[in-house]
Amino acid sequence: MRHGAGIRLRRDGIALAVIAIAYVAAASLVHNSYYQLIMTLVPIWAVFGVSWNILSGYGGQLSFGHASFFGAGAYTVTLALVYWGLTPWLGIPLGMLVGAGAAVLIGTPTFRLRGHYFALAMLAYPLAILYVLEYLGFQEMSLPMHSVHAAFYIQFKDPRFNTYLAVGLLVLGMVGAMLVENSRFGLALLAVRQNELAAEAAGIDSWRWKMRALVVSAIIAAAAGGLYACILLVVTPDSVFGLLVSAQAVVVTLFGGLASLWGPVIGAAILVPLAESLNAELGNILPGIQGVVYGAAIIIIMLAAPEGLFWTVRDRLFRRAVPPPPPMPASLPALARAAALPKGEPLLRVDGLSKTFGGLRAVSEVSFTVNPGEILGIIGPNGAGKTTLFNLLNGVLPADEGVATLAGQTMLGRKVHQVCRMGVGRTFQVVRSFPRLPLIDNVVVGAYGAGLPDHEALHSAVAALARVGLHSQAGTPAGQLTNKELRLMELARALAGRPRLLLLDETLAGLGRDECNEVLDVLARLREEGMTVAIIEHTMHAMLRLADRFVVLDHGRVLASGAPRDVVEDRSVIEAYLGKKWLARTVSPSPASAGEVR
Amino acid sequence: MLEVRNLSVAYGGLRALTDVSLHVGEGQFVTVVGPNGAGKSTLFKTICGVVPPAQGSVAFQGQDLLRLPAAARAHLGIAHVPEGRQVFRTLTVLENLEMGAYTKAGQAQWHRTLDRIHALFPILHERAHQLAGTLSGGEQQMLAIGRGLASAPKLLMLDEPSMGLAPAIADTIFERVSQIHREDGLTILLVEQRVAEALELSDHGYVLETGHMVLDGPYETLLADDRVRRSYLGLTDA
Amino acid sequence: MDPHVLVENVLNALVAGVTIGCIYGLMCIGLGLIFGIMEIVNFAQGEFMMLGMFVSLYLVSVTGALAFLGPDLGPFVGALCAGPIVFAGGTLVYQFIVGRVSGMRTASIASDSRFGQLIVTLGISLILQNGGLLVFGSTPQTVRTPLAARAFLIDGFYGDDIVFINKARLIACVIAIVVAITLYLVMEYTRLGKAMRAAADNPTAATYMGIDVNRTYRLAFGIGSGITAIAGGLMATYLSFDPFIGFDYVVIMYSGVVLGGMGSIMGAFWGGLTVGFVQQCSALVLPPQLQNAAIFVVFLLIVLLRPQGLFGRSAERA
Repeated sequence: MRHGAGIRLRRDGIALAVIAIAYVAAASLVHNSYYQLIMTLVPIWAVFGVSWNILSGYGGQLSFGHASFFGAGAYTVTLALVYWGLTPWLGIPLGMLVGAGAAVLIGTPTFRLRGHYFALAMLAYPLAILYVLEYLGFQEMSLPMHSVHAAFYIQFKDPRFNTYLAVGLLVLGMVGAMLVENSRFGLALLAVRQNELAAEAAGIDSWRWKMRALVVSAIIAAAAGGLYACILLVVTPDSVFGLLVSAQAVVVTLFGGLASLWGPVIGAAILVPLAESLNAELGNILPGIQGVVYGAAIIIIMLAAPEGLFWTVRDRLFRRAVPPPPPMPASLPALARAAALPKGEPLLRVDGLSKTFGGLRAVSEVSFTVNPGEILGIIGPNGAGKTTLFNLLNGVLPADEGVATLAGQTMLGRKVHQVCRMGVGRTFQVVRSFPRLPLIDNVVVGAYGAGLPDHEALHSAVAALARVGLHSQAGTPAGQLTNKELRLMELARALAGRPRLLLLDETLAGLGRDECNEVLDVLARLREEGMTVAIIEHTMHAMLRLADRFVVLDHGRVLASGAPRDVVEDRSVIEAYLGKKWLARTVSPSPASAGEVR
Repeated sequence: MLEVRNLSVAYGGLRALTDVSLHVGEGQFVTVVGPNGAGKSTLFKTICGVVPPAQGSVAFQGQDLLRLPAAARAHLGIAHVPEGRQVFRTLTVLENLEMGAYTKAGQAQWHRTLDRIHALFPILHERAHQLAGTLSGGEQQMLAIGRGLASAPKLLMLDEPSMGLAPAIADTIFERVSQIHREDGLTILLVEQRVAEALELSDHGYVLETGHMVLDGPYETLLADDRVRRSYLGLTDA
Repeated sequence: MDPHVLVENVLNALVAGVTIGCIYGLMCIGLGLIFGIMEIVNFAQGEFMMLGMFVSLYLVSVTGALAFLGPDLGPFVGALCAGPIVFAGGTLVYQFIVGRVSGMRTASIASDSRFGQLIVTLGISLILQNGGLLVFGSTPQTVRTPLAARAFLIDGFYGDDIVFINKARLIACVIAIVVAITLYLVMEYTRLGKAMRAAADNPTAATYMGIDVNRTYRLAFGIGSGITAIAGGLMATYLSFDPFIGFDYVVIMYSGVVLGGMGSIMGAFWGGLTVGFVQQCSALVLPPQLQNAAIFVVFLLIVLLRPQGLFGRSAERA
């Protein structure tokens, strides 16, 4: 469980219990069957929204076709009842299985897409199913009535029982969502949503988590659909696979608050009665009023409060209770993993690495080594191929030629998260954080990615924060951190995974003089503890202070390598990097100015 | 021609510029130098209207710029060669130049200006129908400058033209810019990190450090100042 | 089946495929401008098409404004007139709704701007569809011209096989091609067209050039809507339609644009032509309800196998 999960689960659990009991009590007092129906539908659409929220809210994979699963559940229950006489008590679980199967079938090809392509493709599935069903002649199906043993077939005479059942389903769905939100599942999804690449670099297998999210989401959606069929007793392809159904999940969640636990519930509680009563009152005079209202609701909420009511209200009115930071450990666990290397062997060996883009040799036969416990500085003008080099080592890009091994094991040909698991931590030029989440959550992602179990992961994250000096800020939302603190956060995130090698990309960029020195101190301390680092940087003076050795890249090739002072005075380096004019101008600098650090 | 007074800008939660003033006279070549993160680009972005200031004023030929929307400033005769070149990658070289000449002044003098651009940067004539995204870094920089010239401007603003270019190519760019100043008498405001090159070309220089204008004066004065030499002419990077 | 009849069916399907394909091509150009070039995901594009159909209907039949042109030509002119009207509507939609979640304003929140566009245009789509239901009613309509019932006959293939070229569709096809070429010329060679492409390519740099990016996007969005509306009006001459028809065509349009390749107007046209062609030819083997399902399958295949399309200038954006 994540840090602070206990408090949140208690708080949300109590709220859920109170609301559920209150709702059920209220439903018991309503005797008008039409209003009762509305009270039944609200939790059903709410739980449908909850299911969508797991994939598209937390996971960020916007799906416009969740009706596929809803309809799958509905039709499974209906067909099972009609053809096999199977009671919906069993039909709904069966529908959930079908939903899960559909999720795997749909997800496998479709997760290769991203962003709006994914959304559009997801849209196509329920529509295709709809057309096929119409072709097959399943225009309208009624569930056969069973007046005897009605309860056995979820056809209660007293409609209040429908509501109780719907609320029960919502409670189950919410508990599921709560567990997801507070576990590494939820954090992994949020990480993937924020920045999939950074998440992968932290060791998260994004494909696997997205698929899991889709399956869980589909199961809940199918249950909602199955219950819906039992309540309405009539299913048509359009009523369960149509666009309005998919839109229902989207609208309700977006309106209430995307990626929040209560968002779908709030949205359903407001919009469903509104739309239904509009439909009832005005449906004859103004057909289609429901669609218009939903459309207007979406537009208004996107323009005025794009994150949904829950976040907007919470941000304006409530101050978030920050859980206390976890205790500072008495002694920090050992940083570097035990070196199983024979003496004198380099930790990282790169040999003849090459990568070509179109006609451009971005990286050309690059070879170098990094010894355990040393800091290697990789410098070179912009466009020299430094970041591309890291991308090759990290698994972001496939290499064309060459060898790269970490402690003898090959790094090439692996996926990003696999390289991370080997013990490689990476930071990027542009910092990616999860602004709403506290610092500790931002960092613990790295520990999860390395495969550490929950308890150890938290320890590792706390230790990492202590090492970079941010322990006191563990509870601060990342959105409130300064540039320097964000850079240290990224470093901590990489450290939390207990790496053997750190690949740092321009960690000092954008920092002022003093901040630069602070970060340099942190890095120097890490080296003292035995960490091995390869760092790309521009700020020469800083690198001179920190690095044990330099490798100079220019136009994809290694121009020079060796001790910093030597490299800086190498004529070819000076020419390539600093320009001929610089040479001409620095006529015997005085010893004081040469050695002075900014 | 361009008068910036007491400009203070907050950008992304940081105080990017604090009480910055500078003056560019007609026909002058003025340079603003400073290390990474000093606020140079923010200064340009504010002048061009992409970032709003918290305080201060910017006037061009007596007209208050801050009242005008960003797109209107080009029509006054201010040409901006942005940081990182920012050419239109999916348009051809010639189309990029045509977009540079979007203003009335640019359109009126189009043919003359195009000839001048081709004379300065013959490669742009050769590659007229090539997609701008396929040009090399140096060629894109030339295109960006050509695009700036195409609007027949009164003031040419260049934002770190040497960034990301190999030093030899950057030198060529500086030579051309100097040529434009000398031969066409164009007023130029240059922002650069490579101090030596920039100061050498200009009439007057300003030194910007973490959002403050710490020093200004003619080239000789600045070069003689120990602070500048210590900071920039010692162990500096490209 | 008698080989002569088979050949005749195939030839007729080919002819139908080409003529209808060209109209689809025009429809896709509209989306190509909005989605392919400006990369705005507009879910409501099908509804703009539907508006084109209804506007044409109102101009021709209900108000009789174009009655003086006679029943033969009236519907075609009506289709063309629908263009500017929907153009105006499109610019308003952009100005007050879509523009607030696109363009330079949200350039910084890159990952979420498409999200906003998708949602907001979904809302517009719902409003237009259901609003259309409210205003126009659900009875299927048409703006048929008597030409729809007449056809050119070409014989001489294989002896006495006859190929029918429906007159209405042929005229619609020709109009579609003319409009498409006009738009292409505008985008490639006029100052406005280049400014639109520049603004879509790099809004910040375009602003430095003095281009009003917001206004440009607004115009482009309007033109894109208007073009699709014209295509809709043309289709109305041989189809019957109701307020929900746009929905059937959304996926067709996206298929066409993606197949043709993002960033390319001509590509969108060819993509639409291909999709229309495939659809008509699939009528030879598939029953009508499955034809649309087939299009979805085609869309999925394109997106999964070759997302850069045939003529794309840029690869799939993540």
